[in-house]
Amino acid sequence: MKYVGQNMPRNDGFDKATGRGTFTADIHLPRMLYGKVLRSPYAHAKVLSIDTSAAEALPGVKAVCTFNNTTNKLWNGAAPMFITPKPHDPVLDQTIFTDEPKYIGDEVAAVAAESEAVAEAAVRLIRVEWQELPAVYDPLEAIKPEAPDVQPKCANPQFKNICGGPVELRFGGDPREAFKSCDAVVEYRVKLPRVKQAQLETHGAVASYSPEGKLEVICTTQAPYPTKMILADALDLPVSKITVKNGPYVGGGFGARIGLSGKAEILAAVLSMKSGRPVKLTYTREEDFTCSDSRHGGYLVTRLGAMKDGKFVALDTEAWMNTGAYATFGVDLLGVCGACGTAGAYEVPNFHYVGWPVYTNQMTAGAMRGFGTPQGNAVVEPAIEMMAQKLGIDSLELRKMNATTPESKNWFPFPPGSCGMNECLDKAANAIDWAEKHGQAARQTGRIRRGVGISGGTHVSNAAPFCVDYNTVLLRIERDGTLFVNSSIPEIGPGSTTACLQVAADLTGVPYQNAVMKFGDTDAASFDIGSHATRTLYTVSHVLAKAAEILRRDVFAWVGAKLDLDPAALDMSDGVITSGGKEVGSIAEVASAAHLQGKQFIATACNVPPNCLPFYAQAAEVEVDMETGMVKVLKVAAAHDVGRVVNPLLCEGQIEGGVLQGVGYATREEMTYVEGKGFYNKGFHSYMLPTADDRPDIVPILVENPDPSGVFGIIGIGELGVNPTLAAIGNAVEDATGVRFHEFPLTPGRVLDGLKAAGKV
Amino acid sequence: MAELHTTINGEAVAADVDPAMTLAEFLREKLYLTGTKIGCGRGECGACTIIMNGKSVVSCLIPVMRAEGAVLQTIEGVANGRKLHPIQEEFINKGAIQCGFCTPGMIMSSKALLDANPDPTREEIREALGGNVCRCTGYVNIEQAVNAAAERMRKGEK
Repeated sequence: MKYVGQNMPRNDGFDKATGRGTFTADIHLPRMLYGKVLRSPYAHAKVLSIDTSAAEALPGVKAVCTFNNTTNKLWNGAAPMFITPKPHDPVLDQTIFTDEPKYIGDEVAAVAAESEAVAEAAVRLIRVEWQELPAVYDPLEAIKPEAPDVQPKCANPQFKNICGGPVELRFGGDPREAFKSCDAVVEYRVKLPRVKQAQLETHGAVASYSPEGKLEVICTTQAPYPTKMILADALDLPVSKITVKNGPYVGGGFGARIGLSGKAEILAAVLSMKSGRPVKLTYTREEDFTCSDSRHGGYLVTRLGAMKDGKFVALDTEAWMNTGAYATFGVDLLGVCGACGTAGAYEVPNFHYVGWPVYTNQMTAGAMRGFGTPQGNAVVEPAIEMMAQKLGIDSLELRKMNATTPESKNWFPFPPGSCGMNECLDKAANAIDWAEKHGQAARQTGRIRRGVGISGGTHVSNAAPFCVDYNTVLLRIERDGTLFVNSSIPEIGPGSTTACLQVAADLTGVPYQNAVMKFGDTDAASFDIGSHATRTLYTVSHVLAKAAEILRRDVFAWVGAKLDLDPAALDMSDGVITSGGKEVGSIAEVASAAHLQGKQFIATACNVPPNCLPFYAQAAEVEVDMETGMVKVLKVAAAHDVGRVVNPLLCEGQIEGGVLQGVGYATREEMTYVEGKGFYNKGFHSYMLPTADDRPDIVPILVENPDPSGVFGIIGIGELGVNPTLAAIGNAVEDATGVRFHEFPLTPGRVLDGLKAAGKV
Repeated sequence: MAELHTTINGEAVAADVDPAMTLAEFLREKLYLTGTKIGCGRGECGACTIIMNGKSVVSCLIPVMRAEGAVLQTIEGVANGRKLHPIQEEFINKGAIQCGFCTPGMIMSSKALLDANPDPTREEIREALGGNVCRCTGYVNIEQAVNAAAERMRKGEK
């Protein structure tokens, strides 16, 4: 390997550092109009009448769309619409516009006009007569028999306000029976907030419809191909006639747009179909915060049973998550919460989980980095800490003795992989001086207390075999011997397309220099789900491996025939072709000669990836001010088993960014709902993101245990940085104060209340 | 409409503008200088940061006519053709760029800082970037990039 393992500079670095790189927000097309949306001011209402005549009469207005002049066909704006495997069916519960809005912000109408200002004025001229209806906001309220129905036609008829679920997972024996023979059983409950991806580029789309039936959409999606399929289905257009592409750059994703970006693509599309002109729709930051999928918040409870020696016997977890008004990823996410968040990291012979995705009259919750795993981790890891205290065993040792090994049997239908969690636990613990610092609460007095906490965990490396998950790729060698890779995977920021090119160069043996990867465009390549589920590097490497083998065979067959050499004896590395170790030419010479004889070396492949569990552990050190309740995170050591690192700089960057999101999740970020008004958090000033000013010391630690299932041993890193951080910080706060908290984030008021209730202050 | 005279990236610019526009809108929509990003439109994220008369400002909060007679620098004016400024190079080298949407604003805030203070402390860097939101990097590599660029600029690199 010449390029895997090297800090190759990002392929988009120059574009992004100079401002030359364009994002959807920067796209400007001839005759382009601007869209604005009329949103419901009520959490649940019926539109008794709607009058758009004054809006239509406003000079500069070119289209007004409502539920009256657009299709009311049902769809799901996220990837599950086309990746849900039989016998399951995706929940289809969204329409473009609605006459019965189900949350504050639900789309009722939209306008396209010559400027944003005119479009906004026109939206204000639409007259609506509303009838307010009863609403419910909390998942535990929504499951009560007397609660109003949020989605009477789409909810599971066997239960109250349950969206497609419940999702139930079992492995081994029944925990409720097994608890009876345990030496110790602990129970932990937690309430987690809804938090927002807060990616820097708000949702947006520029749609151009041609009356002959072609639709081109430039947008912020992190899943171009599923988005193309959703648009085709919802708008009754042939899939072939729709192009979906990125700007080509996307200002972050973090799960907010695995499918439509809010509803930007489909709203811009119908406005373009109606006006006959390109339409740009850019969400305001307020719309992005209050009208697009958030992370799922809700309630979880777990019971963990173990024997005196520390061996885990049984784990039983139940989750009630606030899915909001529409399904999107609700069902899938509750599954991942149980599987990755509670089933994978430790060997537990009696395992059960049930997750309830609950409809409420709030903004929809969907995917956000970690996709349910942080929530599952947040309930299991504190329970392990409680068990350690109950049994008098160091919690680091308790984790290590129960950690999943390559021989472990668990709920997952594939082997766990390289299982580097114990190495991660040791390295993270050492980095914060666990041995000296843990368990010192009793010796501390005074206003400022310090503590350390740790959390282990795992996730998946893609969605197979649970959902449809595959990649396609096209490789070609240009006339001068340079490599060109076509993929429809997007580049949402991690540098995946740089890392994938490094892998491609080593797999093909064609130099990295001047190699290009075309990405984020459904016209550039065939199906790929997109960038999510920690899958991009892991799965694209697999399809690249398949295509590279075909490409090399093509080159060797041609060279063999021309030079009368045995193709089986040929090899190529970094552009040098050898036969039995002896140099016979360069790929530049060969490609050039082949071109003059009417031959280009190309290879395509389509591949379903294997899957493996990526293990990690993070340790946090915190300081708690007993007078103000302020939690300051001093340091987070994040050790991740990445199998084999492809680009250390990019890989560490993923961990650092994920950890800071986890710090925000644990200590400050929270979407706060105000009844009658909606979410209070309408911008960055009312949503407490961590900034450069208050970040902790973040120590990324790359552990390399080449994974048996990975190409070159590679495992993904994308989501993982955020997964165990909240639990590590919660455990550290307990270590500092002796108080176990049951609600996050740990804001000063909440901490102070907890300290007072526990008699600590 | 009003007539605006300003200097942008060393070039004199005269334009008829709607005085209700913000400076960010003028740059992006009239001059197509789309390197200046808008992340919130309310001065809360710093993505639209440019340098105006030597100071970093959030251009989404500035009425366009405030630029009358001003000297402006945007991200498009930082590199010299293919030759990147040390701050841009170090943002790439140190992994300070991920999605890239905050990057132009981050670089302009960093440049305003280093132009005025060639040897900033860690706290001064954090303060200078305190108004620039990045959701991707955790700020670790951004701080390292600014440090590395400062060192090169002190040796005379531009």
